[in-house]
Amino acid sequence: MVSSTVVELSRWQFAITAIFHMTFPALTVGLSVLLAVVYTVYVRTGNPLYLQIFRFWRKIFAVGFGLGVVAGTVMTFEFGLNWGIYAHAVGPVVGVTIGMEVITAFFLEAGFIGLMLYGDGRIRPRTMALASWMVAIGTLLSTTWILSANSWMQDPVGYRKADGQFQAEDWISILFNPAFAHRFPHMLLAVLISAAWFVGGISAWYLVKNRVNAQPMARRCLSIALGVLGVLMPVQLYVGDGTAVFMGGHQPAKLQAFEGNWESDNNGYNLLVVPDTDRGENAFHVGIPYLGSVIAQDLSGETKTPGLLQTPPDERPDMWATFYGFRAMYFTALIMFGTAFAGLVLRMRRRLFDSPRFLRWMVWMTPAGIIAITGGWITAEAGRQPWVVYGQLRTADAVSHLNTFEVAGSLAGFVLLYGALLAIWARYIVRTVKAGPEAPPTGPATPDVSEALVA
Amino acid sequence: MLEYVSYALVLFSLAMYVVLDGYDLGVGMLSLAARPERRRQYSEIVATAWDANESWIILAGVVLWAGLPGAYAVVLPSVYLPLIVMLISIILRGLGLEMQSAAGGYRRGWALLFGGASLATTLCQGLILGTVLTGPAQRDGTFQGAAFGWFSLYSVLCALGLVAVHLLAGAAWLQDKTEGWSRSGARRTGRFLLLVTAAMAVVLGLTLRSADPQQFHLGQPTRAVFFWLAVAGAAGACAVAWHAFGRRPDWRPFAAVAALIVCGLLGLVAVSVPVVVPPALTVHQAASPHSSELFLVLGVGLSMPFVLAYNIYAWQSFRGKYTAPVESPLPPLRDRAQPPTASHERTGTPRTIMRRTLLIVLGTAAVGVSQDVFGGVADWIDPIGVAVLCCTALAAWITGDRRDERAGYFDATTGAETRS
Repeated sequence: MVSSTVVELSRWQFAITAIFHMTFPALTVGLSVLLAVVYTVYVRTGNPLYLQIFRFWRKIFAVGFGLGVVAGTVMTFEFGLNWGIYAHAVGPVVGVTIGMEVITAFFLEAGFIGLMLYGDGRIRPRTMALASWMVAIGTLLSTTWILSANSWMQDPVGYRKADGQFQAEDWISILFNPAFAHRFPHMLLAVLISAAWFVGGISAWYLVKNRVNAQPMARRCLSIALGVLGVLMPVQLYVGDGTAVFMGGHQPAKLQAFEGNWESDNNGYNLLVVPDTDRGENAFHVGIPYLGSVIAQDLSGETKTPGLLQTPPDERPDMWATFYGFRAMYFTALIMFGTAFAGLVLRMRRRLFDSPRFLRWMVWMTPAGIIAITGGWITAEAGRQPWVVYGQLRTADAVSHLNTFEVAGSLAGFVLLYGALLAIWARYIVRTVKAGPEAPPTGPATPDVSEALVA
Repeated sequence: MLEYVSYALVLFSLAMYVVLDGYDLGVGMLSLAARPERRRQYSEIVATAWDANESWIILAGVVLWAGLPGAYAVVLPSVYLPLIVMLISIILRGLGLEMQSAAGGYRRGWALLFGGASLATTLCQGLILGTVLTGPAQRDGTFQGAAFGWFSLYSVLCALGLVAVHLLAGAAWLQDKTEGWSRSGARRTGRFLLLVTAAMAVVLGLTLRSADPQQFHLGQPTRAVFFWLAVAGAAGACAVAWHAFGRRPDWRPFAAVAALIVCGLLGLVAVSVPVVVPPALTVHQAASPHSSELFLVLGVGLSMPFVLAYNIYAWQSFRGKYTAPVESPLPPLRDRAQPPTASHERTGTPRTIMRRTLLIVLGTAAVGVSQDVFGGVADWIDPIGVAVLCCTALAAWITGDRRDERAGYFDATTGAETRS
């Protein structure tokens, strides 16, 4: 039997590599769509502003995409490296889905990214627009397949178990499993929204700093970002609510954990909890009375939120991760909604580009989408534990026969490397943003001071 | 039958990977020995295609997982450490490459990182290949060996051999892509690497028997025929490459090296099939159930022509000698003489306070609606309410955007002073 240390270390390793990987698609999927749209507009209208926008965001997209690709390569092999038993059991289902992702989506992105990044002067603008769209379609398709594979693990259907393997019986129901119907739109909106915050935040920074060269681009991008957010945020809250209700029905333990109750006697809504897992109670909690009942659509305040004690002890997820992952996602989402709404009001009042306080707030919101996505995935994955395939295969039974030294060593390697990579990436973004967009030849008479930073 | 098709798909992806990423890695390693001004050019040559080339190893890994999960589950844990180091090296290599390309000038650190990580990646791949060929310890379809089971004289030799192969592919690619090397220089380097590769191939082929005595016998005539055909093909490719290095046409050495690699792989398959992982794990034992194989083969098989088509298209766009990218300068932006005047209102008046209070109430109510907070009301208000909210937002945004465009917010302000 594999020692529990190996299981724990492998879980940490997977969690860290997955979160790190997720940071990049969270930006690049949305950015690729933005790039494709602005380049198409450039081809159609000939307005050089859109070319400037394209070239500027392409710089940030390129490095993010490259890092996303290599971090994704790690994920592909990690299934077999640390989770050999799992890989053998679900290969016929999840392996095939991810295989389809690689051949239809990954190759599409990777095949056209070279043209998109280095094609200037070699291919015609129309071909460039086509390449940009292919990259965008590739990233969207990739999201679709991955969500299908992951949702199947959340709510497995359409299979038969034989010889310890899951064998596919009905591919349609496997690919379009019930959880996919809720989680895919949720995730698709999430990646678009998080890229919009990123673009909007950086554009707001240019406006706050009053960078003359960047003003038209920054206003244009801020307008696009806030428009996207104004439309998508309400939908996202609605879809997210549907996902939570669905999960509450299919994985009761997850709902019990992310609402932060042990006993099923609370009609309030918990804002903060300090769970004591051994004793099965909260050492401390702050809540709003009656709100839990209201959220459960009972205005009389009688409805109680189910607690984690309803689930047998060996099937309980960790309340810390699930509860705070959910809170990180949900509270950020509310703030995002409020900000998008405020942006819309300012726009209607013609004050959008002249509201320093709002713009400064937008700069702070730059990473909001990434934080929410990370929190959401922590809820989804930690809340599914102790199962890796919900109700069918336990995480502890899925680990390869490795010794502690190997897993600990590789975990340390990944932590160090990823820490350094995040720092390098953040520094690169800061530098690129400070350097600003490419200036047109007959730009403003006053040269931009920070132009000197361009290496 | 289908399991053989997915095995063939794995081999095809692997061959594509070794040929395509082989030259990437080779160019990376060669850049370590190149002069600094040349290094930047080398990494730019790789940068246009490495994403696509790298995809093939991901495809190989995933098809192995989906089509032959038994093999995937045994091989990966058995080469845990070299594979992890390979993945880390691939990350560092991608980082060095992208950062150097994005930094816009030559950066010694990134260039060295790119070269060094290419070398480390190749060494790890060689160790993995050696381990798989000698057969990892296994029982009941799972890996049961030790953490350093992959370390053996044979796997180290394999690593060196793979370095030679990738260097050879890199040198051939450079002859095709650059004007930098003189003909005689290309010939010397290419022929030297070719000799090393051939010597390593002979040594590895002969010692394979002693490394793993139970497999790889050439007793059956069909097997022997295919094996010797592959060897003959490899020898022919060697001869062509020997002749072509340093001579026009410049694409020929790379074609010969690619043929050499493919023949080598086919030779290995000829002696081992139907065993996927020595000593005894066969294609049949490792395969997925029929339904999965069918879906995989159809899905991947039908997509493959498209994948090849656009990869060839992308490759065509960059064919010929490498030239520095010619990015046309940005045309001047549209102008606007007057900066837009902002309407400045006094704040703090009772009107402002009332307006803000109303807005906050309105905002909270909107959040409430979209969040189902109103209980039973939600049943009818939900989809319609959300749709109305979205459409209002969209309409407001489009109107506002048009208005701002007319007002000239998105145009450059020539000579205008910065508003404070």
